[in-house]
Amino acid sequence: MAKVTVDGRTVEVPDTANALEACREAGVDVPHFCYHPKLSIVGQCRMCMVEIEGMPKVQASCTVPVRDGMVIQASSERARAARNATMEFLLINHPLDCPICDQAGECKLQDNAFDAGLPVSRMAEVRRLIPGYERTPIGPHVVADMTRCIQCTRCIRFCNEITETGELSFVERGGHTFVWTHEGKELANDLSACAADVCPVGALTVKEFRFRKRVWWLDKTRSVCDGCEIGCNVSLEHKDRIVYRTTPRVQPAVNDYWICDYGRFRSERLNEPGYTRPVVKGPGGEAKETNWGEALDAVRAALGRALENDASKVVVLGSAHLSTEENWLLARLFRDSLKVRNLEFRVDEGPARRMKRGKEWIHGTEAAPNSRGAEAVGIRRSRNGDGSALDLFLSRKNPPPAVLYIADATFSDRASDPAFVSLLRSASVLIVHARVKNALSEAADVVLPAANLSGKEGTFVNFEGRVQRFDAAIVPPPVVRTDLEILLHLGKRFGAFETGWTASDVFSRMKATVPGYAGLDWNSDDLVGNPPSTSLTSAYDVLGFERRPGEAVFSRLSVVAADVKP
Amino acid sequence: MAGLDPVPPVLTARVGTPGSRKLEGYVADGGYASWRKVLAGSSTGEWTPAKVTEMVKASGLRGRGGAGFPCGMKWTFVPPKEKRGGKPVYLLCNADESEPGTFKDRVLIEEDPHQVLEGMMLASFALDVKHAYVYIRGEMWKGAAVLNEAVAEAEAAGLLGKNVLGSGVDLDITVHRGGGAYICGEETALIESLEGKRGHPRIKPPFPAVWGVWGCPTVVNNVETLACVKHVVDRGADWFKGIGRNDRNTGPKLYCISGHVEKPGVYEAPIGIPWERLLEMAGGVRGGRKLKAVIPGGASAPMLTAAEIAGVPMDFDGLAAAKSMFGSAAIIVMDEMTDMAKAVTNISKFFAHESCGQCTPCREGTPWLNKMLKRIVAGGGKKADVEMLLSVANQMANGMTICVFADAAVAPVLSGVAKFREEFEAYVAKAGAPEYGLAAPGEVSAKVAGRTAAGMHD
Repeated sequence: MAKVTVDGRTVEVPDTANALEACREAGVDVPHFCYHPKLSIVGQCRMCMVEIEGMPKVQASCTVPVRDGMVIQASSERARAARNATMEFLLINHPLDCPICDQAGECKLQDNAFDAGLPVSRMAEVRRLIPGYERTPIGPHVVADMTRCIQCTRCIRFCNEITETGELSFVERGGHTFVWTHEGKELANDLSACAADVCPVGALTVKEFRFRKRVWWLDKTRSVCDGCEIGCNVSLEHKDRIVYRTTPRVQPAVNDYWICDYGRFRSERLNEPGYTRPVVKGPGGEAKETNWGEALDAVRAALGRALENDASKVVVLGSAHLSTEENWLLARLFRDSLKVRNLEFRVDEGPARRMKRGKEWIHGTEAAPNSRGAEAVGIRRSRNGDGSALDLFLSRKNPPPAVLYIADATFSDRASDPAFVSLLRSASVLIVHARVKNALSEAADVVLPAANLSGKEGTFVNFEGRVQRFDAAIVPPPVVRTDLEILLHLGKRFGAFETGWTASDVFSRMKATVPGYAGLDWNSDDLVGNPPSTSLTSAYDVLGFERRPGEAVFSRLSVVAADVKP
Repeated sequence: MAGLDPVPPVLTARVGTPGSRKLEGYVADGGYASWRKVLAGSSTGEWTPAKVTEMVKASGLRGRGGAGFPCGMKWTFVPPKEKRGGKPVYLLCNADESEPGTFKDRVLIEEDPHQVLEGMMLASFALDVKHAYVYIRGEMWKGAAVLNEAVAEAEAAGLLGKNVLGSGVDLDITVHRGGGAYICGEETALIESLEGKRGHPRIKPPFPAVWGVWGCPTVVNNVETLACVKHVVDRGADWFKGIGRNDRNTGPKLYCISGHVEKPGVYEAPIGIPWERLLEMAGGVRGGRKLKAVIPGGASAPMLTAAEIAGVPMDFDGLAAAKSMFGSAAIIVMDEMTDMAKAVTNISKFFAHESCGQCTPCREGTPWLNKMLKRIVAGGGKKADVEMLLSVANQMANGMTICVFADAAVAPVLSGVAKFREEFEAYVAKAGAPEYGLAAPGEVSAKVAGRTAAGMHD
């Protein structure tokens, strides 16, 4: 550790930190553009200029490694003058199109212009244009507008160092320099939209989100991506019950500053219309929308009849899409109270997903986030040919069950495959929880409308056994309930549960008995992760308004060593 | 000290003689004697790398590329073998001569390539280099061809390659042509460019002596410096030191004189000769006109007025004392007919074109200065513009950028405006006058800058 004094305040920082990080640690925000904690140091935006004692010239603080006893003047007149100068240079050619720029509101150039800019422009010449390189998609998800580029090279370094695909490069030279893809290539890689995240200005924007919502209207809620079992921390950004986008939430233990394109654009699915009321099929097979009382009574009656005859004729499917709390309630109700033995879940092999954590790739192979959580509460993982109840039934070795209770109608892609559904349908009674209509839900006798990820809270266990909490972003439509509430109310009908429990109540009841949950605290930093970033474009804004005075930055951000070597 | 007396040419002795490019002629003139001597002595211990380095140090040879850093001291910054972790050392000969007004290295390379190669060989011996590179400016295709031929001749004669002349020393020399960017003459940009990347200067430290090309210790020396090394080993440090103004400025020097003189060209003279004698060598100001200003060290050196340069010794310390710099000894002479505002505009165009685009102040500032100057000389200037030139130039320099390109780019503007302010103000005073055929300053601005907007390049 090195002791560094910034504007009179002494702080301790790791030896690998640089002067910019030391300033931040001391609570002094030095504006910057090209610096990013997970990318190499290039020191070329020249925004983070400070004075350092013993060095005659002003220094770009990100390029100076800390030394024990270093004294930094970050707010001196000379340092401010240098930053004002850089700001002026950045603004002389930047278009004044903030009103129509999608980055406005989370643009570092805007923010820093407020801090370090001049109130007037001295530029009397015509501004630079980059004709032919405006509003052009450079890949499936990223739209480039090079007149706005400030040449910080974050996107170039992102593609070189994080995705290791190197699609982007500087083109031209001097004042004409801009960023583009190599001839004949497009910006298409697993994490391509993160290039737009790291862009501090509106030069790269995400195609799917462009012009959908002004960012200052968005509410941000902590969530966890449910695309695979890696469990990337994300922030759901929403307004008026519509999720507009998903952005990464910094988590050095999982996904650093990134999310993959697949996970990012799954947020569309959260807005799909679907069941808003329970559906029960009448004796003639006609589907009828009803209320919760009738629907749950119908479920209770069907289960009651089957259990009286033979509990082994009941098959219950949990899901790797449900939270551990929901799976635990399912197990409590069916296995412990109703003595149902056939409690299983099945998860699809997903296409391989990958995520960059530090310098290593981590891989996701399943199409659901929480198979570890389902296993932890004692729900059996079912595979083809493993002799599980579901396998025996699907392979027609066992007769169809009397009741098939599926707690997640989208547990597999095959739930929209008519052949697979007709197999499941051969059960005498088919009960599903569903949010969106698919072949399986339409075949079911009872459909219980359940909120999707954006409308509920709980915990997932990721591929490394890390327990992570996600919060409810939006209130589901009026009659839709969360899986948790559905199970509580159903349990009430069998005298098993209280209906007033919340996810955190369930969490505290189950944590003693569920492996991996002992000793966890619902509100701990480990479970909650970092707050949604106030602006992804700034390295430290991820701590945003929630940073408490004196709180260490490094413990939460795992700042990389300033690796100035190429 | 008699160091300033005329001496027979050393570096340019063979220039212009028949067969000066050929190995045959070079050997006949006593070439490669030092290389053979050093190699032969290396097995007996008579010659060691340390001895060569010591000679160069003792000679007081300062880098001829522009900064004037003592050459021998630069060599000693390379970590000793046990601290290099098995990494090789590279020697790069900087032949990316692109400073406006500089054309001395081209003469050496095109006319006497073996002299440069022998200097590289001796430097490589001193630095334990197994592979040396010549990074030659892309436009100097002729020089590259000459050098390649010379390297091939030397290889054929067994002066390069594995186990040179049975001494156990290995050395290869590769000639690499640059892509034609001024900034690639900056040593770290040159290294990046040689590695196959864009020529962007690196953040220093680490310096090339520790972390250079491909992360290995690297020494970058100018063509003329390496040619001098050959003569230091040839004739000894004391002889070298005997030439020149004083102990800090030693040896023969090539001066590139261009502009308004009767006989522009490359002149060899002891370093530190007074300005007047140099001007005399070049035949004086053309047409007998009066001297107005001199840029003494390439376009990036602050210009000096006729009064300021009078009696100045033309070497590193002499020009530093006159608040300019010696640079690459590219002396651009301007007579009384020169329009200083237009001269400065022309220089600023060069720097706007050559900025690498890495650092904000330089990338944005150099075109801004150029646009402002163009507007002023086109008759669209405003009264505040002259002061603004100084203000904008000042906030680009002095540590605001990774390399010193920005400092170089603003030097002619700052010195030009400071010393010839009335000429800029005269343009501003005439702004909008009918002779420009324009109505108002604003229109000029649009018209001048419109050229930039219409295409990518002005």
